[in-house]
Amino acid sequence: MISLPLQIVLTAITASILAGVTCSLIGVFVVQMKLSSIGYCMSHAAFAGAALGLLLALDPLLSALALSTLVALILGPISEKAKLSPGVITGIMFSLTIGLGFIFLNFAPGVAATQQALSILWGSIFSVTFDDLILLGLLTFFIVLLLILFFKEFQALMFSRKLAEASGINTSLFYFLILFLAGVTVAFTLKLVGGLLVFALIVNPASAALQFIYDLKKVFVVSPIIGALTCLLGFLLSLLLDFPIGSSIVIVSSFTFGVSVMLSPKRRRG
Amino acid sequence: MGKVIVKLLKVDTIYEGEHLPAIKDINLEIEQGEIISIIGPNGSGKTTLLETINGLLKISRGEVRVFDVDMSRYSMKVRKDIAYVPQDFISEPTVPFLAQDIVLMGRYGKIGLLRSPGKGDLEIAKEAMRLVGVDEFAHRPIGKLSGGEQQKVMIARAIAQEPKLLLLDEPFSHLDVDSKTEISEKICKLHEEKGWTTVVVTHDLSSIPRRCDRVLVMNRGRIVAEEDPESVIGRKESLTVFFKETKQ
Repeated sequence: MISLPLQIVLTAITASILAGVTCSLIGVFVVQMKLSSIGYCMSHAAFAGAALGLLLALDPLLSALALSTLVALILGPISEKAKLSPGVITGIMFSLTIGLGFIFLNFAPGVAATQQALSILWGSIFSVTFDDLILLGLLTFFIVLLLILFFKEFQALMFSRKLAEASGINTSLFYFLILFLAGVTVAFTLKLVGGLLVFALIVNPASAALQFIYDLKKVFVVSPIIGALTCLLGFLLSLLLDFPIGSSIVIVSSFTFGVSVMLSPKRRRG
Repeated sequence: MGKVIVKLLKVDTIYEGEHLPAIKDINLEIEQGEIISIIGPNGSGKTTLLETINGLLKISRGEVRVFDVDMSRYSMKVRKDIAYVPQDFISEPTVPFLAQDIVLMGRYGKIGLLRSPGKGDLEIAKEAMRLVGVDEFAHRPIGKLSGGEQQKVMIARAIAQEPKLLLLDEPFSHLDVDSKTEISEKICKLHEEKGWTTVVVTHDLSSIPRRCDRVLVMNRGRIVAEEDPESVIGRKESLTVFFKETKQ
């Protein structure tokens, strides 16, 4: 087991919990509204954005935020208008963003940049600073606040966009708000689990919660609890076995999802 | 003569990516308090007409006005007063929504932004569920209910909305004969009590409400005839047989 200063461990634990909560809250939207393909593209766009930031000597977080939000704002309307299947969107955008990301990394100068690039790719919780924590905390607060203020609109949209629109809700506004929040969440948690794995943290806890619960309000409570716990367990696993932190979190959250599918009462007959 | 609350003038609606209109050259006026049935075979444009009236579909020609509002520009303003029960709306068994949530959603447009449903809204939703006989399912997951029960929940949702205009698209297709008659009677009673205007789309003659003012016939995207309600209400044969008989 690796021994570390307490302050670093506490920062890492807090970051894990906040990232788990934020990602799994957004995950409920992504899973229930079947936005996985769009979200998947955004997570890789964030990776490409961070790589572009390194190349241009900008803050990788800001450039990741910019690119993933840009992709969210472009991809949403495009997929709606062009009626592209999720498979097509994922196939094209995944390879495009990964390709761009590696090109940017290839031209990023110096060994330090390469190290930073690897941390974007795989995540490095120990590089999380106090400022990152504050930002992540603010994002979590902002998402919870929006959920409380607009729960009924989100709920109606998640049940049926067409019916929500028919009853007078401005569905486009809330749909794009969800995409925007997904993009921001991905960018903010990139440092923790990395661009390649962040999406598992979004999808797995929400999918696990949805295996057991029929009440959307309860899903929004249980999903972040699962997210926070899997992040913590993943963090401990990485300390114990010296695994990369992002991979450990993804393994734990995937295992949790697998077990929840096996135990799910929704999948029993009768 | 009552006030005209729905007015379509030379309306064409073309689905995105298609060239031929799904409905063509529709002229229609519906007065406040009327119950109108629209019948026609599958693909005749009945659903497109309903979704053109409530502004879910954009028109490619003509003008649609509901409550004197131009629906191509300001439909969001009046949708809270238009309840819509879509055709064959069946939820997946695992979705995280309870029947009562769905009925309460009917109130959301009226409640408005930044406000939560209050006790009054919940009472209205419960009353709507009692009325269509789904109150015992209030806390059951919507996806676990049968097709008929889900259809009743959707009707309860529309009733809970307390609309001025009620648009029903094949609302009884999953109901047994007794339920169909019972719910249809209740809708007619509410229609009279609340002064609604109701449009029922169906391809099943036995689903036409007892107290129907006009029966419009659609075929290939056009309104092709208007039948005398007396000659249609209560008929049990299929549309094809009915049209063969009436042509002879």
